Amino acid sequence: MPIPTPVIELRGVTKTYKLGGETLNALDNVSLVIQPGDYVTLTGPSGSGKSTLANIIGGLDQPTSGTVIVDGNDLSQLRDAQLSEYRNHHIGFVFQSFNLQGNNTIVENVMLPLVFSKVGRKARKARAIECLQAVGLGDHLKHTANQLSGGQRQRVAIARALAVRPSIIIADEPTGNLDSAKGKEIMALINDLNTQGITILIITHDQEVARKAKHMIEIRDGKLSEHGA
Amino acid sequence: MHFSDYVILAFRNIWRAKLRSALTIFAVVIGATSVTIMLALVTGAKSFFLDQVQANGTLQQVAISPQQDITNFNDAQHNSGGNCSTNCTKLTDLVVDKVKAIPHVTGVARVAGQGMLAAIAYGNQNLSLNQTTAYDANGIIVNNVLAGRDIQTSDTTGVLTITSDYADKFGFKGNYGGIIGKSVKLLTQDFYSGVGANIQPPQQCNGPCNGNNQPNNKPTTLTGTIVGVIDTSNNSQSVRIPIEWMREMQENQMYQVTPADQAANAAQQAKCQRIAGPCNITQHMTLTTTDMLAQNGYSSLIAKVDNSKNAASVATAVKKLGLGAADAEASIKQQLTIFNVIGLVLGGIGGIALAVAAVGVVNTMVMAILERTREIGVMRAVGAKRSTVRTLFTIEAALLGFWGGVVGIAVGFGLTRIANIFVNKQLVSQGVKAHDIISLPPWLILAVVGIATLIGMLAGLYPAARAAKLNPVEALRYE
Ligand SMILES: Nc1ncnc2c1ncn2[C@@H]1O[C@H](COP(=O)(O)OP(=O)(O)OP(=O)(O)O)[C@@H](O)[C@H]1O
Ligand SMILES: [Mg+2]
Repeated sequence: MPIPTPVIELRGVTKTYKLGGETLNALDNVSLVIQPGDYVTLTGPSGSGKSTLANIIGGLDQPTSGTVIVDGNDLSQLRDAQLSEYRNHHIGFVFQSFNLQGNNTIVENVMLPLVFSKVGRKARKARAIECLQAVGLGDHLKHTANQLSGGQRQRVAIARALAVRPSIIIADEPTGNLDSAKGKEIMALINDLNTQGITILIITHDQEVARKAKHMIEIRDGKLSEHGA
Repeated sequence: MHFSDYVILAFRNIWRAKLRSALTIFAVVIGATSVTIMLALVTGAKSFFLDQVQANGTLQQVAISPQQDITNFNDAQHNSGGNCSTNCTKLTDLVVDKVKAIPHVTGVARVAGQGMLAAIAYGNQNLSLNQTTAYDANGIIVNNVLAGRDIQTSDTTGVLTITSDYADKFGFKGNYGGIIGKSVKLLTQDFYSGVGANIQPPQQCNGPCNGNNQPNNKPTTLTGTIVGVIDTSNNSQSVRIPIEWMREMQENQMYQVTPADQAANAAQQAKCQRIAGPCNITQHMTLTTTDMLAQNGYSSLIAKVDNSKNAASVATAVKKLGLGAADAEASIKQQLTIFNVIGLVLGGIGGIALAVAAVGVVNTMVMAILERTREIGVMRAVGAKRSTVRTLFTIEAALLGFWGGVVGIAVGFGLTRIANIFVNKQLVSQGVKAHDIISLPPWLILAVVGIATLIGMLAGLYPAARAAKLNPVEALRYE
């Protein structure tokens, strides 16, 4: 059996913040590998460094030291333009607070990443509609984000993350602002995406969610303790 | 990201903050409107002025003055001659012939201006006269004739043209044709001794008399026929007459004791001495006439040159004759400089308004970026580069400037149209053909819109750079 190439490999990643005279290691010498098609949950107490780690993996933030290697490329060596392209082509972010443009239609929201990857107007609209149908919002296309419920908004956010056909979706507490029923629906949607082959990295406080994952990473004070299936 | 996507996104963002954008654009509109109007005014007035000059053939003229130190075209024309002593050469007919002999000179018009006439009267209106100008009607000096005709070569005496302000006051406003052919009275000054003056011989005196005294101290009334009404724009309250009439008016008539009179008087005196008792002596005197115009010279000359390029060299040649000379080019350049200076000053005011508008754009964009920090974070997360964000906000600011420029041009255009209506009315009332002086050439429209857009863009550079520098993680966390 061929060993799958690691999509993402972190080696000794440290993220340090200087606050006044004190230094704070939000991440402390973190090394990990995420395989293609993996389903990884990231748990830990508040302030332990979960979001920091996810952002570094997603190319939104850069480590103070250590390397993040994706398909043989070191992210920390990339310039802003290349890093932005990496996010645009490979990463789909889903946030706790949806982060949609409330007054724009949901189609326009989903099209946004495609605008940056220079997809033509017709093609990106078609793709946006396709993604919205995939998350079950095919009959709400004319709505603006503000006109939807919380659960529906998070579906729009997932559709936006899907638009560029990312290899990994990074979801930072996607159910944090939803009630448990709506949260379950969103988790089901994300599980579905994983079965279609998309790598998932999800930050959650929900132990039930965490246990279902192929890999469970626990983080405390910036240090890892991994439990894998 | 495609350019059209930038513009669409920027436009939507401007639309989203309608009121704030409108206020910002309004400031740009004020600046752009004032710049537009000011530039339109100056360029329009400049081309109008140049057209006038071209039409008058002024560029082909050299103004000649007896005063050597005169170098300004207008001063040379308006110098009234007067006493010519130092650095001065009388403009006699001999001198006129010398000027005519200068190469490239195609003709010379002699000009004589004098305050000989004090008033002009028609009906019961008696109006004071500023200036009587006489000149050779040989086509070199051209007036803007509103009715009737200009003085012509065949005119000798008894005809005149009046400026339209007189025609207005005589009750022919809007009907200048009506005064043509009418006879007017011209009242001279007290000292007038020209043709028509009632010169009396001096009082008889006992004993030897030189008889040089001038007994006539009453104004003379001359009559003339109005042949034309001309535009007042150059010279208001004036009449123009043929130069031969002026010559007659300037004649000095007086009783003088000629050698023959002297002999006759001496004979009488000798006779009286021989007779004892009262003896009546009749002083012999003769009325003599002196052509003062020929003696004192003309007040100025206008030489016509075959080509405006030769005007300067002709002026130099004229100066070598000991005269003052100036071609129009220098003074036109000087007047154009005035237009340019006015343009700069007015444009500067508009520029200040635009600078204030630019500050407004900076302010609006900084506000917009604060408001949209999270949105910027989202854009970065889904793949926008720093440069994408920078370009987007720069275009947004440029668009604010662009709309300000477009609306400013539109408002400025409207205002200049309205202003033209009034200016045209004014011109027509002064007898000038109405043509929209305040013009808005295409280059001006492009320039104003371009400048407004550029200002918006420059004002957007700093806020856009700030937006681009935002850390995406912090932007996403921004409350
Ligand atoms: N920009 C920053 N400046 C200073 N300290 C920071 C900054 N960003 C994060 N930190 C610190 O780094 C640590 C890790 O933060 P992080 O957001 O990764 O925690 P988290 O595990 O996601 O917490 P939560 O579950 O509450 O979201 C925290 O102690 C936080 O205060
Ligand atoms: Mg977090």
